[in-house]
Amino acid sequence: MRRVVSTAVLFAATFGVAFAGLRAGAGSLPAAAQQKPDATEVKIDNFSFGPAELKVPVGTTVTWTNHDDIPHTAVSTDKTFKSKVLDTDEKFSFTFSKPGTYEYFCSIHPKMTGRVVVQ
Amino acid sequence: MSVNPFDLKTVVLAKHAQHVVLIHFPIALFMVAVAFDFLAQWAKNRSLAAAAYFNLLLAAGFTVPVVATGLAAWQWALEGQKLKGILLMHLVLGCISAVVIWVVFLIHLRARRHPGNSLPTYRLSLEAVAVLLVGVTAHLGGFLSGVNGPG
Repeated sequence: MRRVVSTAVLFAATFGVAFAGLRAGAGSLPAAAQQKPDATEVKIDNFSFGPAELKVPVGTTVTWTNHDDIPHTAVSTDKTFKSKVLDTDEKFSFTFSKPGTYEYFCSIHPKMTGRVVVQ
Repeated sequence: MSVNPFDLKTVVLAKHAQHVVLIHFPIALFMVAVAFDFLAQWAKNRSLAAAAYFNLLLAAGFTVPVVATGLAAWQWALEGQKLKGILLMHLVLGCISAVVIWVVFLIHLRARRHPGNSLPTYRLSLEAVAVLLVGVTAHLGGFLSGVNGPG
């Protein structure tokens, strides 16, 4: 009986160490491998563009999705792109074919601003 | 592209800032006018009735620039694109509210021009409906403007 108990304790300890090692191993993965690259998506939520600044290579298509209950737009200050009014869950996409910095805002709520840096 | 609503340049040049500023005047004037009119009816007080009339006069007057700036905002900020959802509801209810405010004002004006005519009692029902309309329109406008949003 004593042997059975000690075997069980040893097994549990081994399992615990292995599990802890797995977690530690996961934590040591490179940051790039952990973060899902989702750089072409801009979420409109709570009256803000997220991320506020996006860096993308030339030729990238950026998609804005309105997750707010309020309609929004995405309009570049130099009129390079201009979405229609986006209701909840509606999307707008634009492909950036030239490098540069594109400042944009919501024409209904001009306090909402963002930037796409095309490299 | 930061916009400060208390900056004069912003107020004058921002494409829909004027509507957001002006809209508060007819709302307040009309609500107060209706309150005075109900009180005047209840208390049989001519001073309150006169106060109601002049508030209504100003409220009706203010609807003109408010509707104009609202339509201008639609044309400038959204380039006149086809509206839907909350924006469309706000536009339609706003126009109806403006018309009803004018109807209420004209009822008062008519009674005032012909001292023999007393104000019809049905105006109170119309005023109550108008207050509701204005309230819903204002609520939608506040929702759209993001006054509850961050910053």
